[in-house]
Amino acid sequence: MSAGLWLCIRLPRLAHEALAAAADHAAGAEAPAARHVIERAAVERAAMERLAAWAYQWTSLVSYGLDEPLLWLELAASRTLFGGHAALLAKLEAELTQLGYSHACALAPSPTGAALLTQADQQRCVTTRSQLRSRLEMLPLSLLALPQAVLAALHSAGLRRIGQLLALPAAAIARRFGPGSSLYLRQLCATASDPRPAWRMPATYRARFEFDSEVRDTTALLFPLRRLLLEFQGYLRGRDCAVLRFTLEFEHYRHAASGVTIGMSAPCRDAAQLLLLARERLQSVVLPAPVSALRLQALEFTAASVVQADFFGSNAQQLQQLQLLLDRLQARLGDGQVRGLAPAADHRPERAWRLVMPEQSTASPQTPAAARPCTLLQSPRRIEPPALLLSGPERIESGWWDGADATRDYYVARAGDGARLWVFQDLAEGAWYLQGLWT
Amino acid sequence: MSIPLPTGPQRAQLLEQLAQLCRNGESSRAQRAAAPSGFPELDANLPGGGWPIGAIAELMSDATGIGELSLLVPVLSRLARAGRHIAWIAPPYLPYAPGLAQRGLPLEHMLLIQTRSLQESLWATEQALRCPAVGAVLGWPAYIVDKNVRRLQLAAEAGGSLGILYRPPEAARASSPAALRLRLHAAPDGLAVEIHKSRGGRAGLTLRLAVAPTVAA
Repeated sequence: MSAGLWLCIRLPRLAHEALAAAADHAAGAEAPAARHVIERAAVERAAMERLAAWAYQWTSLVSYGLDEPLLWLELAASRTLFGGHAALLAKLEAELTQLGYSHACALAPSPTGAALLTQADQQRCVTTRSQLRSRLEMLPLSLLALPQAVLAALHSAGLRRIGQLLALPAAAIARRFGPGSSLYLRQLCATASDPRPAWRMPATYRARFEFDSEVRDTTALLFPLRRLLLEFQGYLRGRDCAVLRFTLEFEHYRHAASGVTIGMSAPCRDAAQLLLLARERLQSVVLPAPVSALRLQALEFTAASVVQADFFGSNAQQLQQLQLLLDRLQARLGDGQVRGLAPAADHRPERAWRLVMPEQSTASPQTPAAARPCTLLQSPRRIEPPALLLSGPERIESGWWDGADATRDYYVARAGDGARLWVFQDLAEGAWYLQGLWT
Repeated sequence: MSIPLPTGPQRAQLLEQLAQLCRNGESSRAQRAAAPSGFPELDANLPGGGWPIGAIAELMSDATGIGELSLLVPVLSRLARAGRHIAWIAPPYLPYAPGLAQRGLPLEHMLLIQTRSLQESLWATEQALRCPAVGAVLGWPAYIVDKNVRRLQLAAEAGGSLGILYRPPEAARASSPAALRLRLHAAPDGLAVEIHKSRGGRAGLTLRLAVAPTVAA
């Protein structure tokens, strides 16, 4: 007997709604009217696993049943954390609506009692055993999860309300309807132990979303992806962690699975931000074949403390905004398209710089003494000897040790249109080259 | 169904009111923030005393290599030293790290963004302008229509950033919604800057600025 407090969520249309989100967006497809029982069970189980992970953010004891799709959250320890159960319940219901699931929630000191109250029309939240008992007494017998034969027998005996049954001696009920029925009634009233198997959070996150009909267009993936990411956010909150990368995999009927990995520069667990990045990334994805299912997978997690630290300082806030920008640019333009600049220790001008990861530049230990232009050509371009040299020469000699030796005299020259050029004469061959511009 | 247009003095009065409204719009916009250019002569002739912050400035240079980037070095340096980033969107030439460092630009605040198409460049320019962590965005669009300039201007406004578009000299022949448009000509001792359009300011003036660094032998 535990003095716990259980929130039960009944999901009457779970399988249908888990598929409907896809069907709504698959071109012209109707919501599935009848799917095979086995498929339906698999869809329900997968959806329930995702919802359990989502629910884990509020409590460490989550359990679910699939005979009727029911999800339980033990809240005795959590209610003070989330501003009382009314506030928690409102938040939970809002997120369920956002996820697109019809639901009925009830709160009771026993999981069995909470499950029954989800079917009541009103007053579905009770917190003490006596409140539970008096609430149950008023409800019709037909709500009891007892075998049909038992319910029929009770009905023919003239019983209509649960209260009438509870008024009978427990021993008489056990004798007449079996010990199972008696135990059920005591569990219902929270007077018998009512253990629930605790759902265990998997160490890696995998969610799969099957489309009712194939999807040809990446934009059609966004709607189910939004839901997957919202559930993923719940999982991340539940584990108190964040991700640096996750993978989206696309299953095709007549083609090997394809996919993309979405990486971030800072740990993230915000569904909206993850969706934004995924959307940018998907724009550049060319699907090899229509998609029959979408999988989200995350294998590595990082501490959430970094993201949770409150960003009050404007510097920290700017950093976060910058990271968001870099992630968006990288997602859309591709890795390696966004870089930082750094000097490099080499006398040859074309090797005196390098690309680095954004923000990872460091000041040069040795800046050349002579002036350098702001812009450089990708590679020196051969030119006619310049007519007007403004300054120079600056002798640059180096590189003999790695075979790319150069002996050059550098000058600033003026072109006919007034442009100032950075040119050199290669002393080995005598030819002139343009290497930079004094922009 | 059409509304009959007023005629005669009534019409003239209406037009005058309209013109008044337009002028009000201009003057209120002119009070926006500006960042000193580092060239007092130029600042004295720009509304707010510098480059327009939260707006787009177009630079139309006669040639490459006449100091068109040096003109921006002081403002870019100022913005970067204030902790904001400078985004270079698909520059036609490589921004040369040793040269930029010599002029005092903090390299750790430079972002070099490569793109594969004009469309990607415009998108990246808009994203960067919108980001409050970015102080200035430099773009070299081969071609841009007014609608897109306007779009970038809104992005600059949202991000409080300075958007610089390098455009070919022929672009000066057509109008543009950019807040500031400068034509740049080579000058023996520096750069000749012609104010082609200045929202809320005066246009038509040409200034000679010593933008080039001392080219020592």
